[in-house]
Amino acid sequence: MLERRLLTNVPWSMVALVLGIALFGLSAVYSATYTPTGPSSLFTKQLIWVGLGIIVMFMALIPDYHTVSRYAYVLYALSVLFLVLVAIIGRTGMGAQRWLPLGPFAFQPSEFAKLSLVLALARYFAEDPRQGGYTLRDLGIPAAMVAVPLVLVLKQPDLGTALMLLFTSTLVVILAGIRLRSIVSIAVIGAMVASFVFLVPPVRHKIWTSLKPYQQKRIKAFLDPASDPLGSGYHATQAKIAVGSGQTTGKGFRKGTQSQMAFLPERHTDFIFAVIAEERGFLGASLLIVIYVVFLLTGVEAAKNAKDKIGALMAGGIVSMLSLYVCINVGMAAGILPVVGVPLPLVSYGGTSIITTFLAIGLLLNIRSRRFMLFY
Amino acid sequence: MHPNSPEAVHKRLPLLLAFIILFAVVLFFRLWYLQVARGAYYQELAENNRIRPVKLRPPRGIIYDRKGRPMVENELTFDISIVPEDAPDLDETVQKLAPLLDMRTEAIQRLIDEMEPVRGKYEPVKIREEAPWSEVAMVEARQEDLPGVIVEPEHRRHYPYGGMASHQFGYIGKVTQTQKKADQADTGLLVGQSGLEKTYDKLLRGVAGRHMLQVNAAGRKVKDLGIDEPKLGTDLFLTLDLDVQRAAEEGLGERNGAVVAMDPNNGEVIALVSHPTYDPNLFPRGISPRDWVRLSNDPSHPLYNRAVQSVYPPGSTFKVVVSIAGLETGIIDPDDQVTCKGFLMSGRRPFRCWKKGGHGTLSFHRGLVESCDVYFYTMGDRIGFDRVAEYARNLGMGEITGIPIADEKKGLVPTAAWKREKVREPWYPADNFMNAIGQGFMLVSPIQNCQLMSAVANGGTFYRPQLLKRSRNRETGAEKVYPPVKSRTFTMKPEVLDLVRKALVGVTTEPGGTAHGAATKLWTVAGKTGTAQVIAQKVPGQKLSEETQDHAWFIAYAPAEQPRIAVAVVVEHGGHGGAAAAPVARKVIEEYLRNAGTQTAH
Repeated sequence: MLERRLLTNVPWSMVALVLGIALFGLSAVYSATYTPTGPSSLFTKQLIWVGLGIIVMFMALIPDYHTVSRYAYVLYALSVLFLVLVAIIGRTGMGAQRWLPLGPFAFQPSEFAKLSLVLALARYFAEDPRQGGYTLRDLGIPAAMVAVPLVLVLKQPDLGTALMLLFTSTLVVILAGIRLRSIVSIAVIGAMVASFVFLVPPVRHKIWTSLKPYQQKRIKAFLDPASDPLGSGYHATQAKIAVGSGQTTGKGFRKGTQSQMAFLPERHTDFIFAVIAEERGFLGASLLIVIYVVFLLTGVEAAKNAKDKIGALMAGGIVSMLSLYVCINVGMAAGILPVVGVPLPLVSYGGTSIITTFLAIGLLLNIRSRRFMLFY
Repeated sequence: MHPNSPEAVHKRLPLLLAFIILFAVVLFFRLWYLQVARGAYYQELAENNRIRPVKLRPPRGIIYDRKGRPMVENELTFDISIVPEDAPDLDETVQKLAPLLDMRTEAIQRLIDEMEPVRGKYEPVKIREEAPWSEVAMVEARQEDLPGVIVEPEHRRHYPYGGMASHQFGYIGKVTQTQKKADQADTGLLVGQSGLEKTYDKLLRGVAGRHMLQVNAAGRKVKDLGIDEPKLGTDLFLTLDLDVQRAAEEGLGERNGAVVAMDPNNGEVIALVSHPTYDPNLFPRGISPRDWVRLSNDPSHPLYNRAVQSVYPPGSTFKVVVSIAGLETGIIDPDDQVTCKGFLMSGRRPFRCWKKGGHGTLSFHRGLVESCDVYFYTMGDRIGFDRVAEYARNLGMGEITGIPIADEKKGLVPTAAWKREKVREPWYPADNFMNAIGQGFMLVSPIQNCQLMSAVANGGTFYRPQLLKRSRNRETGAEKVYPPVKSRTFTMKPEVLDLVRKALVGVTTEPGGTAHGAATKLWTVAGKTGTAQVIAQKVPGQKLSEETQDHAWFIAYAPAEQPRIAVAVVVEHGGHGGAAAAPVARKVIEEYLRNAGTQTAH
């Protein structure tokens, strides 16, 4: 009885948008990883991940989202535990320790940490409402909740994910109803810290030297990519060439010279959007953005229609997280944001990212499906 | 408000909405800018990214003599080079290469660093030029071990006759920055830096081709996009005759000086010699600093092309010009007699004749045959030097001949006005005397003096001295003939020419003639000796040292009846013209007339 009602309430239009994005992504991964001898095993893996992800998405529809919310802190604690485990026994790749070996696969706890943090924050703010909004003093506990995984992720080091954690939680805090005055105070304090960091040479030096050389290079390269197009600015320059050379209609499927001939680094993961832009052109790239925007706006609609604060916060948090992913990843490929490792949701290669994203979307659909239900 | 009411969240949702829409709009415009507005630009960058042009340099054209014998050729050699972009770990490659070439790693690194600012992408850096076979074989065998190292076949310029005609061929060297701009030549290209190699560089050089390769980000070849074939350099056939050139150089021997021989009927240069010579083989792979210092500091200036760049007082050869001026103006009557007692008094100052005892009484013919200074003092003074100067100019002095090798010197034809301005002194009668025997301010180059003989021989026609007879496109076999260029004509009266020519024949044939050394058995030679004093007055009885000995001149044409060759010889500090220079001219004339018209196999 409940199942049938639920099925009729599932927003199938959102499911269609999600599947459309996933198909877009699969074709791009197919093209970006294609080897001279045929499709790469990476594509097959990705296909499996997407299939599993769709199952996970529908499974996330079954329990009431309040039940999920009850386990929010447990999930949060688990993800922190995983992050600690990574720090101790994690697998190293590309100069950072980010993966946990899991049989034939590698699990990336930092991806999972983003979602669990959103859920935990949503639960915290839903259970502890303040009349007239939160003041700075009310933010001590949530700040600590953010700080623990943030520091662990920074240690790996993974600047991209750390920034994502910070930005996503900031959006959740704003949605939860922090006082505007507090936002202004945070902005002022942030500006002061930033100017302290940037304008006081010893501090700047200390922070700068604490960064890994590849991080320093990436920041330098963002500030002036032309300074060393074959060195540190290589990623940004090649991505821009790939995007630009796609022109209006694109070079065609598997015809992108930048991606097919390996000029474009990390083309199946962080720079997958550049592959799409190169092969599908402005029309294809804009179509993908339009699908994303329609999906995200529907997500905002879901948050608006949520019957209670926890639903609205969970939905709003998930939409915030996904929006940030899309904006930062595309902005990076288009050369308006620095190169930080952030996947494009549902598109970039990577099992943990795919599964986590489908799980998050499943929860979003869950909230959307239950908008007409009464709980009191 | 119910504590679990979503109202507070709902109030904030428009912020999220605005964020999404704003960012989407920004991204949309950014993509439009990159892909539509600037798409073509990035398209080009993408093309350049993946297409690597490999330069194909054609061998330079071969230079042959007039009978088709190669005088400048190319030899196939192998260079060992590094393409830094192709070495995944340049340091490792350098370290592995160094012991194979018996070089220090720092030396190789320095070569790479030096080239870095001027090198194009994927342009190889030469590490060992003209590598010996053993090294080439070793590098070839270890290709897998030495990523980025390549063996480049090169056509090295080779001058089989060493220093022979070195000044005329010139030499080649790396293109300089200024040339690079003017020429759009690429770095490392060897271009002509002097002589014919420079003058006809565009012909000889050919056009570089390109082998287009499609490469991936690692620089590895993915696909061959085809070859844009190079255009081979054009072969040149010169007017020079290898045998005559050799005869002239042998005639000059170890003495410094110059020989010019040309065909008076068309201005073709048959031999052009400047001694000392240098070995142009030193240059093509970049001359070593030590060799360069040695060549440029050598007091005998071996890099100087004396045939066209050195000017000397013409000495008695100038009497030919004075004769023509006097006869043409009618101031010299061929029958006017002058008595030579060995000197001529001007005021209280004596002007000596070269013959101490004097020539006795003589008229024009004997005066020129015996080169009597007193006769020409007298006539020169009568004509006045400004008028002589006008004829000297008409006969090509004080002006470049237009021979197409660089930096020809004009020499000097003095006038009273010139002296007032430059020396700040008036023109004295003594200047008339001294300049009339070619000892004053007059300066002529060997090629000008040869042109003078040519004009006397052909009746006043001036050709631009020509070194290039024809060129042959090596691909099509098409030939281009370079016809003689008549620059101007100076008409002289036939009876004047007749008188002068007879006297010039007398110089080599009659008793008292100054150049019996130039006489040949088969052909009549018409000529004039010259002995240009390096210091004004000798101390009697004292032997002059090498540096103060007179320059010896001889200018001639032959056969006198139907001239086919005009020659000018100058031997620096050679002493008397008849003794030092005339035999050189004779050798040149004999060699040319004996073999002219015969053909050697091409």
